[in-house]
Amino acid sequence: MVLSLLQLSSYVAFAIFIVVTLRTARKWASMPMHLRWELYPVPHEPEHEHGSSYLEKVDWQTKPRETTLAGELKELLMEMLFIKRVFDHKRDLWWLTFPFHFGVYLILGWFALLFVGGLTQAYTGIAIPSAHPWAQLIHGLTLLTGSLGIILGTLGTLGLLVKRLFTRELREYSAGVEFLNLIFILVVFGLGAVAWLTFDTDFSTARAYMTSLVSFSSTGIENTVQSNSILLAHVILLELLFIYIPFTKMSHFVGKYFTYHTVLWEDEPNIRGGPLEKKIKDLLTYKVSWGAPHIKKGKNWVENATAEVEENWGEWKI
Amino acid sequence: MNNGVKINDISKPVEQLLRLRLEDLMPLPPPFDKEPEPPIEGEPKPEWREEYFTDLDGYVAIDLPIKPKSEEEGRRFVERFLDGLRKLTSDEDNWTFKEQFMLSIEYCAKCQTCNDACHFYQASGKKEIYRPTYKSEVLRRIYKKYLTPSGKIFGNFVSGEVDLNWRTVGRLAELAYRCTFCRRCAQTCPIGVDNGVINRELRKIFAQEMGIAPKAFHDQGTVKQLKTGSSTGLTPDGFKDMIEFIQEDFEEKLDMKIDMPIDEKGADILLIHNAGEFLSWPENIAAFAILFNEADLSWTMSSDPIGYDGVNYGAFCDDVQLARIVIKHIEAARKLDVNKIVIAECGHAHKVLTVIADRILFDDLNIPRENWLPIMWDAVRKGKFNFDPDKNQFPVTLQDPCNLVRLSGITQPQRNIIKAICPQFREMEPHGVKNYCCGGGSGFAIMSSMNYPEWRKKISVRLKVKQVLDAFQDSISPDINKYACFPCSNCKGGIRDGIEHYGLWEKCRITYGGLVELMVNAMVDIEEPFIEWEVH
Repeated sequence: MVLSLLQLSSYVAFAIFIVVTLRTARKWASMPMHLRWELYPVPHEPEHEHGSSYLEKVDWQTKPRETTLAGELKELLMEMLFIKRVFDHKRDLWWLTFPFHFGVYLILGWFALLFVGGLTQAYTGIAIPSAHPWAQLIHGLTLLTGSLGIILGTLGTLGLLVKRLFTRELREYSAGVEFLNLIFILVVFGLGAVAWLTFDTDFSTARAYMTSLVSFSSTGIENTVQSNSILLAHVILLELLFIYIPFTKMSHFVGKYFTYHTVLWEDEPNIRGGPLEKKIKDLLTYKVSWGAPHIKKGKNWVENATAEVEENWGEWKI
Repeated sequence: MNNGVKINDISKPVEQLLRLRLEDLMPLPPPFDKEPEPPIEGEPKPEWREEYFTDLDGYVAIDLPIKPKSEEEGRRFVERFLDGLRKLTSDEDNWTFKEQFMLSIEYCAKCQTCNDACHFYQASGKKEIYRPTYKSEVLRRIYKKYLTPSGKIFGNFVSGEVDLNWRTVGRLAELAYRCTFCRRCAQTCPIGVDNGVINRELRKIFAQEMGIAPKAFHDQGTVKQLKTGSSTGLTPDGFKDMIEFIQEDFEEKLDMKIDMPIDEKGADILLIHNAGEFLSWPENIAAFAILFNEADLSWTMSSDPIGYDGVNYGAFCDDVQLARIVIKHIEAARKLDVNKIVIAECGHAHKVLTVIADRILFDDLNIPRENWLPIMWDAVRKGKFNFDPDKNQFPVTLQDPCNLVRLSGITQPQRNIIKAICPQFREMEPHGVKNYCCGGGSGFAIMSSMNYPEWRKKISVRLKVKQVLDAFQDSISPDINKYACFPCSNCKGGIRDGIEHYGLWEKCRITYGGLVELMVNAMVDIEEPFIEWEVH
């Protein structure tokens, strides 16, 4: 059967989200290797509870390097799931940002459960809800994550918007687009909440729509969606949000990986004859174009680093 | 709390965005609940306003007459600044810090979680312009508005309101020297955004593109070091004379022979000091020699130009100068054919050589580089010294130099040593990787021209003074001598300011010094007290 325009738009929105997110990740991943700029405690160091590093060992270059993945995972999960730094340092904001983020995580879980439910319905013939244990599990978890996610997400977003509007230190530092982002999310959450409370209380419509998407078939559910203006507005705005997020700072889930893993926790030593030396040699061939008198414009980094001092190096110019 | 300054006020034609007032500053603990502190002199000389940027808070860090004198100069000033900002985003020009900088520019959520981590923001009584996000946000807005497609199309809606004129640029130049990039704020950021790196890169625009940096960093700093061998102006011959003088002086004082080897080819260790110690704290040099000899270490110093001065002010604003000085340090080590370079009590010299330079060196240049502390703790642990902790029977607290601790992960050897030799040791709070900057970091300790020292004394070192006083509250009376152990040259410079300005020696009998002095003071074989109870 021919896919509906609504279904097609869902595929397109999801595809754009993935492609742009991956492009952003690739942009950061392809940055040139930089000078070390780690910040302790670095949680993969075995003695990280003291903030210690391998530099505490005499002749550390000649000793095997020990790291702990468990330390890193623990820190990562505490920050991702519970936003520990905001809890520790700005508790008043944490009461709003935690429900918001946790609400978003629950909604992502809800999406995953709808996806699994859709696959189940489309390819196994097991109906959800039904008496089948698998169906009961999926249905129950979908209800839990969806309802809790909508409540926490809506309240958290509303709280963050109000806080940003009425707290000077947040308002003064925010651009118009940052208010727009929160309003956009709030509208999507709000419409979802209304649709859930008034029309799709057990998420069966949402699951049926997901079933049509994973089976690549028009089952008629899109007509149901289109006949309910709230539901339709929610789906369309959600798709637009999916398209919009990767172009904005809201995709900081990508940036956050790099701030931690390639900067703050990146303490790989450059051992003589090791793999980093080749990269360093390449980087030092880059030519510089800085304009201050003491810099040899047009020469590369090696030529600059080994240049003999000249009389005019202490000058400045506008 | 704040003084009502908005982000875009940075571009406005007002005389100053802020005037510091004593009553606004963070209160200090006893005895300053009763003792008055020195007043704020504050006002810049009227003639300074014509040529220097006094327009921020009245204090002048950039001691160059850079204020544009015509519309054309103003326009050029802004253009050069934008050129520099653009170069920060270039692989070729800024592979060194591009990723760190861009991530922090792109992803700040403006949640202000980092604010209270900043010692300047706290010490000033939470003045807006010292908020760690203030200058970052100005720079972020300029970048977005003038250098990104979305900013060029949608303007302030995506960037936030900002006007770029010569006042904006001049005030940013000064603001770049109201942060020591101790990076305590970055520890608190849920996203990992680092206002410290933004600040360092901001300094870089001025230093590497416009040739603008405090004279103490560039003209009298890295350039002088490259020309003469040391930022102090100490030449190789002067260095040798100085060591001879220190050796004779301390041999006489302690009635013992102290070897201070220079240029001993084939030694295991090249020990590099901050040359400031030779002039200001010669006892530190003597203590190192005594300890290294007692520990049976094979070591030498170098008389090669720059080989005897570990400082590298390129770390504070200039990657090119940093690389030039690193190469000279390495050349000195290669000439002596040592196995490794060991950096003495200087935090930034340690971080530059062991951490930052790690991505500059290769092949023969990639000589092992270590800090002195693990080596010394190893010697203590192995029983190389005969200590009597009772010789250090006085209250002691310990400064954690940011470059050593938060930025390099060396936190335990110094604690292990001090606990072994100081029965009355107590930590500052917070300490370790959560310490506060001494206030002399990122070169502040050496910036002494015009009225900048007053800002340093009133704001920069204030929180450290508070921490030291808090640590000694149980013995704050001037009847008890107390020792603030600051094992870093810049940190010592910072607390020296604090002790002098607030009269901590006269009022509380607090003095300061390094860790090696405490170690030698505890040595059984040295009969004379090594620590002199005075402020020097």
